[in-house]
Amino acid sequence: MTDKVLIVDDEVDFLNLMSERLKTRDMDVSTATNAKEALKMIDEKFYDAVVLDLQMPEMDGLETLKIMKEKNPDIQIILLTGHATVEKGIEAMKLGAMDLLEKPAELSTIIDRIKHAKAEKIILVEKKNEQRIRDILTHKGW
Amino acid sequence: MTIQTDPLGAAGLTFFSKISASISHEIKNSLAVINESAGYLEDVTLMTRKGLPLDPERLGALASTMLKQVQRTNTIIKNMNRLAHSLDEDYRRVDLGELGELMAHLSERTLVTKGFRLTLTAPAQPVSVITHPFFLQNLIWLTLNFAMSVCGESKTILMAPSKNAAGAEICFSGLDRITEEMVQDFLAQGGRLLLDALNASCHTATGQGRLTLSLPEDIHQLKAS
Repeated sequence: MTDKVLIVDDEVDFLNLMSERLKTRDMDVSTATNAKEALKMIDEKFYDAVVLDLQMPEMDGLETLKIMKEKNPDIQIILLTGHATVEKGIEAMKLGAMDLLEKPAELSTIIDRIKHAKAEKIILVEKKNEQRIRDILTHKGW
Repeated sequence: MTIQTDPLGAAGLTFFSKISASISHEIKNSLAVINESAGYLEDVTLMTRKGLPLDPERLGALASTMLKQVQRTNTIIKNMNRLAHSLDEDYRRVDLGELGELMAHLSERTLVTKGFRLTLTAPAQPVSVITHPFFLQNLIWLTLNFAMSVCGESKTILMAPSKNAAGAEICFSGLDRITEEMVQDFLAQGGRLLLDALNASCHTATGQGRLTLSLPEDIHQLKAS
């Protein structure tokens, strides 16, 4: 099944190039240039992974990550940043980011992380389904 | 053991390191676009080898993107260089229009990421004073940071250098939420230190959302009371 990715970055040239390159690798790519747009998009469509820039106008990547996780705890987010500091990395992981990559990143690394994100999400969904079945069985006294 | 720190030097280092961090971030963004452009060219090469036709329009656009990024990085590095060389001399004649432009460039990323916009009104005639360029840049940067905390709903800060009777002034407006108390805090947190080093003064018109830095024609002039 095609990987569904949302890329969020205020650098339009970067956004367009990465989007085109991922599309040629058979990915279903959507783009947003700001957090507000991205938050609306995750409400409307399911994504296997979100590649999110850390430094953006109005609302930065960490704040966006926090809101996205509140909206959808299973969403897998890969942060991209010009400079990855240890502090930012820890903060991002605490907020539930799957990974933090430094720009410029190799496309193969980004694809690898997207595939990993998709696998993580499948595991999470399967675990939730298992729990749901267990809850139903317990409720029925089986 | 107690470490003795020079407050003016410490303020300067803070300013320089913040600007350096912002600049290196900008350069990395530019490199990321160039990196993706090179990757795209690799993709095109592979596809052409597989027999797909070349798209000259797309290649032309890609070349423009790369050139734009090279120019952008070049401007960033030129500005960084100008800032670094502002410590070469203790005092020199400084064109406030040019200095304002440099500070607008250097602060742009910080302002934009916080959702603010800076509009610089260039003076009709060149305005210059003999001053310490690095300390003045530090003061402008500090004032812009303060301006963001007191800016109005429009989130637009206006900066305008002009001549005045004592020498020159730089007026910051659009500061709709400015109060005398806030100005006192700003002065206590480094503003006063830099004003004194520059033999300058600060005036506020809180009702009009304005803060003005007044600079003597020559830093060595006695400060007017």
